[in-house]
Amino acid sequence: MKPDFKTLRLDRVTRRFGAGKTTDAAQVAALDGLQMDIARGEFIALLGPSGCGKSTALNCIAGLLPLSDGGIYLDEQRIDTLPPEQRGFGMVFQNYALFPHMTVAKNVGFGLLMRGVPSAEIQTRVKRALDLVQLASHMNKLPGQLSGGQQQRVAIARAIVIEPPLILMDEPLSNLDAKLRLEMRSEIRRIHMELGRTTLYVTHDQDEALSLADRIVVMKDGKVQQIGTPPEVYGQPSNLAVARFMGYRNELLLDVVGQDAQSVALAGPGVNLNGIPKTRLQGRAAVSIRPEEFSIVAAGQDAANSLSARVESVEYYGRESLFMLRTQDNTRLYVRAEGQATPGETIRVAVDANRVLAYPIEQVA
Amino acid sequence: MMQMSSQTAGSRWRDPAMWMAAPAVIFMLTVFVYPFIHGLILSFQPLEGGMLSNYIKFFNTENLWMTIGVTLKLALPATLINILIAVPVAYRLRHKTPYQKIATTILVIPITLGTVLIAEGMLTYFGPKGWFAHILQLLHVYEGAIRLTHNYAGVLISLVISGFPFAFLLILSYITGIDPVLPRAAATLGATPFNQFRYVILPLILPGLAMAFCLSFVQAFSVFPSAVLLGSPAGATRVISIAAYEAAFENYDYSMASAVAMIMGAVQLGVVVIVLGLRNLFYRGPVSGGKG
Repeated sequence: MKPDFKTLRLDRVTRRFGAGKTTDAAQVAALDGLQMDIARGEFIALLGPSGCGKSTALNCIAGLLPLSDGGIYLDEQRIDTLPPEQRGFGMVFQNYALFPHMTVAKNVGFGLLMRGVPSAEIQTRVKRALDLVQLASHMNKLPGQLSGGQQQRVAIARAIVIEPPLILMDEPLSNLDAKLRLEMRSEIRRIHMELGRTTLYVTHDQDEALSLADRIVVMKDGKVQQIGTPPEVYGQPSNLAVARFMGYRNELLLDVVGQDAQSVALAGPGVNLNGIPKTRLQGRAAVSIRPEEFSIVAAGQDAANSLSARVESVEYYGRESLFMLRTQDNTRLYVRAEGQATPGETIRVAVDANRVLAYPIEQVA
Repeated sequence: MMQMSSQTAGSRWRDPAMWMAAPAVIFMLTVFVYPFIHGLILSFQPLEGGMLSNYIKFFNTENLWMTIGVTLKLALPATLINILIAVPVAYRLRHKTPYQKIATTILVIPITLGTVLIAEGMLTYFGPKGWFAHILQLLHVYEGAIRLTHNYAGVLISLVISGFPFAFLLILSYITGIDPVLPRAAATLGATPFNQFRYVILPLILPGLAMAFCLSFVQAFSVFPSAVLLGSPAGATRVISIAAYEAAFENYDYSMASAVAMIMGAVQLGVVVIVLGLRNLFYRGPVSGGKG
């Protein structure tokens, strides 16, 4: 157990499930070769749909699941062979996992009790941790007497009071209602900044990941798809799977008609677009565009990088509307933009070439 | 809606759901309440003497009042041993695995055997010429005469064998009812497996243990066949049910037998009340760790 570290290194961390030995490579890997270095003080979000392996990764790091392959290192010390109680990481569970028979103060003090901290010191440190999550007045209540948000903050206090070098959070906000989720999100960020420790945060909510994390690890089917800062992952998804997950709802299959290093020209029935090739493209390409990147071209005006489509329906969202369109080759297109259109008419929508991302057609699966 | 919630007593009887309880009520009345009251009244109608003379006789006759102590001396240790063994075994077997199923099945088999069958088996296996004594002597573990039948030990062993599956099944259900994420959370906070058990599992199953203790105790306290077959029914294992049996079927004094049965029930009730009173000192709430 180390008080702090410079780097947490995940070296091809792999976990397989199924009958027989989990070191058998033929088994299904829930987590396949997670490789990254995490620096002290970073806030890392593991992001992906359910079943992508993000919780498996967290449990492997916490020591609740043994690895099938690879290793985990704190600086130079290998820790994946240690049982969870010797790793000393704080963990916040999805359903909080508060001890129902202990008061809030006993829950928060449990980790200190296990470390043999004198009871007077436990009291002051518990008080300080509960102050941090603004729950000091609830010290003597049982978890069952608290609301979901309060329980969640007790769980955070319990994890941070032991001053762990690394805090692991497993979808800590998924059981809260929308309003509380937003409040707690800022709370978690504030606590992370205040403690200056490292946080590893698992979520399936891209907004959460984007707003909280310094770096995001996007995962799918047990494999890392992309590791990057929120702007990188949001603006430059490395592949189609990441793009889909980050809200690129529109996918057009187009022919590649010209390409250089920085741009690619694409064409289809009634469509001529310039875009950014994410890798070398050949033949056909899959194009990803966010609904909000489009703008509606006023009738009679000319616009570069545009396409025409028929309006199917319109949902009004106040300042903007969500238009559902059909292109000439019958692909559905979502456009979120200002302006007006009525179902049945054909309109032109334009998009900045920098916001048209082209991926190899093989990634469409 | 207001009228619905303020039902009168009369309309409650017209509620068909109420009548769903009827079979259970009839069952309780005919096989428990009536025989109990009948026995209670019978115990106050002795063959000779005043209303309380059966009870006075019981507490003035040594080989009658002694049976309370003899039975307690068998039932309390047997119950404690069963609970104390069942807790760690159930804790080890709390995870759902094929291995757990097999082990649970083997441990539970004695519950399907009658106490008489167990007694028969024990008489040959644990007898002075039985396999058990042979093996111990062959291995030179114990050289002297081994007497595990027709005495206190024989009855105690039989009570453990027949009572263990019951205690084990009850405790297993309490332990598996605990959210498995709780001991994991304790582990991440630095609790060793022993401390996970001590600080998280044990406090949460204590109320259940008290219930299991009561149920096992009541079962053990009414020991009869094994006390006769495996014990020394005239001496060390002259339990209270033997006293009742003698009164009823050897002396044909049903009134006295009823009095013994009432005393037996009172002792059982006393122990149960004490244990459940202690249970109130412990936490008794949900055993999950938050909003699920």
